[in-house]
Amino acid sequence: MNKTLLLGLIITIFMLCASLFGKYVAPHDLNESAQVSSSGGELIVPPFPPSKNYPLGTDKYGYDILAKLLAGSKYTIFVAFSVAFARMAIGSTIGLLLGYFGKAKASRGGQVPIWNMLNGIPVFVIVWMIMIGISINPAPSAPTMTLILAVVLTILGIPSVAGTMKDKTAIIREKQFVLSARSIGAGSWSIMWKHVLQHLKESFLILFVQEIVLILGLFGQLAILNIFVGGTRQFRDPIEYVSRTNEWSGLIGQSRDYLFAYQWVLFMPLAAYIVFILGFHLISLGLEKHYRTTYAKVSQI
Amino acid sequence: MLVVPGFLLSILLFALAPAVLQADLRDGTLHFHWANGISSIRNYLQGIFSGESFHFLAGRTEHSFWEQIGAYFKVSFFYTVIGGVVGLTGGMFLGVYFAISRYRWMRRILELTSILPDFVIVLLLQFLVVYFASVTGVAVFQVASVSTDDPAIALPLISTILIPSNYMIRNVALQMNNAFAEDYITFARARGLGKSYIVFFHALPNVLPFIKADLHKFMGILFGNLFIFEYLYNLNGVTLFVFSNAFDYSGYQYSFVVNGLFTLSALYFIVYALLRAAIFGWEKVIVR
Repeated sequence: MNKTLLLGLIITIFMLCASLFGKYVAPHDLNESAQVSSSGGELIVPPFPPSKNYPLGTDKYGYDILAKLLAGSKYTIFVAFSVAFARMAIGSTIGLLLGYFGKAKASRGGQVPIWNMLNGIPVFVIVWMIMIGISINPAPSAPTMTLILAVVLTILGIPSVAGTMKDKTAIIREKQFVLSARSIGAGSWSIMWKHVLQHLKESFLILFVQEIVLILGLFGQLAILNIFVGGTRQFRDPIEYVSRTNEWSGLIGQSRDYLFAYQWVLFMPLAAYIVFILGFHLISLGLEKHYRTTYAKVSQI
Repeated sequence: MLVVPGFLLSILLFALAPAVLQADLRDGTLHFHWANGISSIRNYLQGIFSGESFHFLAGRTEHSFWEQIGAYFKVSFFYTVIGGVVGLTGGMFLGVYFAISRYRWMRRILELTSILPDFVIVLLLQFLVVYFASVTGVAVFQVASVSTDDPAIALPLISTILIPSNYMIRNVALQMNNAFAEDYITFARARGLGKSYIVFFHALPNVLPFIKADLHKFMGILFGNLFIFEYLYNLNGVTLFVFSNAFDYSGYQYSFVVNGLFTLSALYFIVYALLRAAIFGWEKVIVR
């Protein structure tokens, strides 16, 4: 029984269900805000800490954090999924073709491709430069801004997926069974489809899950720099950045200053975000464990 | 040797994005102002000779890039060198230890922390210090720099070492375990060689090439981390310098951002060279 895989799937499916159906069972609506009230001559002002009425507390405008998390989860979950899917689909097609028809074997060390050097400028900085001019108080709607960000993230992620897939394909291409398939007259396309792809299935799955984790990390790093999924609303006086979509990393980014007081405003989105990443990580670990116990050699030490 | 000019060119191009891609303020449609991009590059190249490219505005005051950058460079250099060298060396040895250790739970905890993005680790560290202070009344570390005279040191140092070394540990442990499954290890064991001898003189030399090949990835983590923690801890390094002055009151400062990114790449190559030297040293020690 692969407990790691099971736990990861349970967490992910739970989050998915919460995002799809959560709003029907949530105690408060997204547009419903708790007002200032007084009891016994004492003013009660939001943000309210987690309580029976507000399980995750409210933000300083009195909005229920649970409602915000549920509203934002659509963006967090489905954008990360779609970007990862698009990266995998395009990147692995390119990688497969390059690896199969390319000339040399996978290089180890020696020759370094140019995008490796670009590691010096991390991806989120490049995204920051592309998005900063258009992401603050944007006129396009939140879904449009989300789409733009998704396209940018997809394009920037393709080289690394293609590179990994190319290396893996180049290794499989040299295997005996490919040679024997070719010797009995199989064409390149059927070898790619029936042999190479079948062997890549598992690394494909693992890479897909890891890409989701990577993309969620990118969302967060961008949010720290005030680029939120779906655009940033900027208020002046005092300067405040607010997520338009309530996407989770956006909620973390906008409540960064709550480190010292009303910590649940920062901590609840952060906890949801961490648990979500954890779910995918457990799936990836579980898959790796599954394939290792099925195929790999064992340690001799 | 097209790598260096290609690299410089890609910086020139990436930095163009805010100048070229702009949203219309009225209807919000996106426009590509290619002419803006071309004139930005032309101005930059011409300005190199006149010195114009090395002036920038901070707010409304004009500064010379060369006079300002030194202090910022020193801060970033300090953290990347410490993070790089300690992260690499410590990560390597801990990776070996984790590969042979029987305490599997330690590795599992390590793997769990490794998936958390850098900013989460920084936020959690800050949160921990604040929580500790609120319970005991003792502030162990400063959570962020209040001013240049009073910088936060301990937490940034912890983060700069923790995050890259975590990656190194996992990577080395994984490659070690792969090496342990190879036939030459079985053979070495059959010859009756000691366990630590096999680990350090058979397995580790075969893991070093992987570390070398992965060095750019390691550097990527180190530098990505630098951007995040300089920002979150309010440290006056090169990356915070670039972020906070990229836009002045009149708009985007292309030449300033390009200069900042060039400075970072110079830093990147210096640290990379240092780490290669460190690995070379380790090779001399463990490969006979």
